[in-house]
Amino acid sequence: MIASVTPSSIIELEGVTKVFRTGPLFVEALRDVCFSVDEGEFVAIMGASGSGKTTLLGILGCLDRPTTGSYRLVGQEMATLHEVDRARVRGKRIGFVFQAYNLLPRSTAYSNVELPMIYAGVPARERRARVVAALTEVGLADRIHHLPAQLSGGQQQRVAIARALVVRPSVVLADEPTGNLDSTSAQEVLGILTRLHGNGATIVLVTHSDEVGARANRVIRFGDGRVVADDLTDC
Amino acid sequence: MTTFFEQVRIALAALRANWFRGALTALGVIIGVSSLVAVTAVSAGAQKEVGDSIRRLGSNVVLVDGELITVGTQQTASDRTITPEDVSAIEKLPMVSVVAPYQDIEGLTVSAGRDKTTTRLFGVTAPYQDIYNQAAGQGRLLSASDVAFGRSVMVLGLVPRRRLFPGQDPIGKTVRVGSHEFEVVGVQARKAKLGGENLDDRIFVPLPIVTRVLLGGANTKSVGVRVRSEAEIVPAMDEIESLLREQHHLPPSYADDFSTEDQAALVKEAQSATGTFRVLTFALGGISLLVGGIGIMNMMLVSVHERTREIGIRKSVGATPGVVQTQFLIEAVVLSTLSGFVGVVLGIVTTRLIGTAAGWTVLISVPSLVVAFLVALGIGLFFGYYPARRAARLDPITALRHD
Repeated sequence: MIASVTPSSIIELEGVTKVFRTGPLFVEALRDVCFSVDEGEFVAIMGASGSGKTTLLGILGCLDRPTTGSYRLVGQEMATLHEVDRARVRGKRIGFVFQAYNLLPRSTAYSNVELPMIYAGVPARERRARVVAALTEVGLADRIHHLPAQLSGGQQQRVAIARALVVRPSVVLADEPTGNLDSTSAQEVLGILTRLHGNGATIVLVTHSDEVGARANRVIRFGDGRVVADDLTDC
Repeated sequence: MTTFFEQVRIALAALRANWFRGALTALGVIIGVSSLVAVTAVSAGAQKEVGDSIRRLGSNVVLVDGELITVGTQQTASDRTITPEDVSAIEKLPMVSVVAPYQDIEGLTVSAGRDKTTTRLFGVTAPYQDIYNQAAGQGRLLSASDVAFGRSVMVLGLVPRRRLFPGQDPIGKTVRVGSHEFEVVGVQARKAKLGGENLDDRIFVPLPIVTRVLLGGANTKSVGVRVRSEAEIVPAMDEIESLLREQHHLPPSYADDFSTEDQAALVKEAQSATGTFRVLTFALGGISLLVGGIGIMNMMLVSVHERTREIGIRKSVGATPGVVQTQFLIEAVVLSTLSGFVGVVLGIVTTRLIGTAAGWTVLISVPSLVVAFLVALGIGLFFGYYPARRAARLDPITALRHD
């Protein structure tokens, strides 16, 4: 029952539950979830809709807190962390890639990628070089000053990946990153994620698509708020 | 931490994206600030004018006016009830320090060569010049011996000086009043206006000439009486009243054949009436600011709602609640201070226009502009706080799912 704690553990979940209250009803979205993710892993969390995988991603991303249980990110307990500190953790340790891209519509690709660094307090001199490097990494060096509306869906998602990478996070969390994309664009985005993994990035990806899941080197299956199958057995 | 500069930049970008809405919202604050600036300037100007008026009227001066008893249409000095004996009796009252009998004739046409003007002629004594704070702008004022010997000399106000001697030095020149000739010895320093009357449109000659030569007689219409202190004005008025009734042998059933008035008090009274009006205008400006503030709050609430998703995105990439709150607060404050700035500029322009159009004295003071500007800033902070707090407290997950 004890999670394997190694120095290279990025994510460690122990007995995590999440209960939502909707009116008089209490809904258990997560029940006693335990697993850990080591540095450099590419994990796909899979399951039908309503299985609790999006709730889990919210907790992993420090956007939400577990009702009970422990969540350690790079050894630091997140379950009890104050909102202000969680915001700082999000800014420094986590890179999000959302299904709906979630770029600021009135900001250019450059400004969108620069944003997390502004909040993280990266000096202005350093920001420029890092924005250019991140956008080059995703193949959009020539789209720096385009607005999201001037980019295709695939390109927007690549800007989002650049934004996730630019703070050099401990983990990249992707929520159905190809869900809104045509197959060509989806392949491009998955290609980039695979390449990042190859370069050593830790990636946790939520999807219901087996094809996407197949890209990962480990799959955790969710059903009814629990882990029903894991390539590794942590709990 | 995010630098303040970055926050201002983000706020400006957000305002630019919705500039028309921002401009409409700003109007309330602009109108409020500019009306406060204008009202303050007009008020300060009026205040200054009251002070000036009181100074011109002389301080602690009671005006005793003989009632006009006209026999036929010919105006003569004997129509006046204030006799030289009355004047000496008033002078003996203990509260009185200076007595200045004078006689004026309105609508008198005077000439110098071919130039003519219609003005108001005053027959005065040296003490008159003293209690009404007259000064010589050029040449000299009337002297005690001018009055004692009834010399035909004259001091001009600025208006007759300009009309009778355009572009010339008037000193030593001659002015004709009917068949009588006067030598100009001085020009009165600028007095400006008092109420509707231009105090510069006057000429002054020794009193005996007016009473004896021009009108024929010794009585005067008016006496300016300076009382020793402001507290003694009212008692002095009572004393003068009973003294003059006695002098004139008026039975108790007869009305006074003279009047006494404290002119400075009249000016102050007139001023307090316009003061009420100013308080109302000031209140209107305040209400406009309040409405403007509510407008800003409303706009910010709409803005927070519309940008819920943006707030979610910002939070997901590391914006703390404090950073989000500051961002929206800065936006409100930038809007309100810009409005404040425009309001101050508009207020100055309006004030100048009012001053020119109405001919009022206006006094724009820098501290009042700074205060108006700070009030606008305060409004942004106050009315921006709640919407900003709301943005800061949004749950990131809910915000990210918002359409």
